[in-house]
Amino acid sequence: MEYTVEDLGGGVAVLHLDGRLNMVSAARLREAVTSTVALGHTRIAVDLAKVDFMDSSGLGALISGLKTTRQAGGDLRIAAPSEQVKLVLQLTNMERVLLAHEHAETAFSG
Amino acid sequence: MADVARHTLHLAVPPGDVDAVHSLLEAVWAEAPGIPMMERFRFETALLELASNVVKHADGGSGLWCTLEIDAHPEHIEATVLDDGEPSDAQILLPREMPDELAESGRGIAMIQALVDDLTYSREGTTNRWSISRRFAS
Repeated sequence: MEYTVEDLGGGVAVLHLDGRLNMVSAARLREAVTSTVALGHTRIAVDLAKVDFMDSSGLGALISGLKTTRQAGGDLRIAAPSEQVKLVLQLTNMERVLLAHEHAETAFSG
Repeated sequence: MADVARHTLHLAVPPGDVDAVHSLLEAVWAEAPGIPMMERFRFETALLELASNVVKHADGGSGLWCTLEIDAHPEHIEATVLDDGEPSDAQILLPREMPDELAESGRGIAMIQALVDDLTYSREGTTNRWSISRRFAS
């Protein structure tokens, strides 16, 4: 999995993920959130548009990121989940905790 | 849709490259185009949880071999995962609840149970045998 960080200003950043979010890449996502928060972006929108597969380890990394941002006074939101990612969120009853937004860029506006 | 040939993968752990499991499933889906997309997502999610569980928990430090076999049929699909690693606790098969919503782990087995119709585990000699099967919703 690759990722890029986009600074939207006002403490908001978008993490664009590309690839599978699994036991291998979960650690990278945790590090990406930690370093992004350390740079002062405490509100993070995770763009899942290019994540075609997520497992329970990937979900764990999103929850870790949620806690990291909230501890810093911010929040983590997800956007554009695939059908497989939606299935995992639904099966684990996490749809209300990780509310899916349509676009990452507007997850913290409106 | 006719039965498709068995698809088999041998995985060395480490590294335990689960991307190879995705590639194996791509070959299965290519030969069985009649399987609905949502059923593919369900089975792929369950099998990857199972394979990842073996990679994470069965290696006692000296590495192991893991063999996956997938059989797709017109109305159901099944997979067997064999490994020569550490034995698993059979209690792992007890019905699982999802952990607290802010827990960062502990969902894998509960997810498999929710995704497939059957999950079994047995220890045969020095081999762990896991199997999952799913009848397609009609």
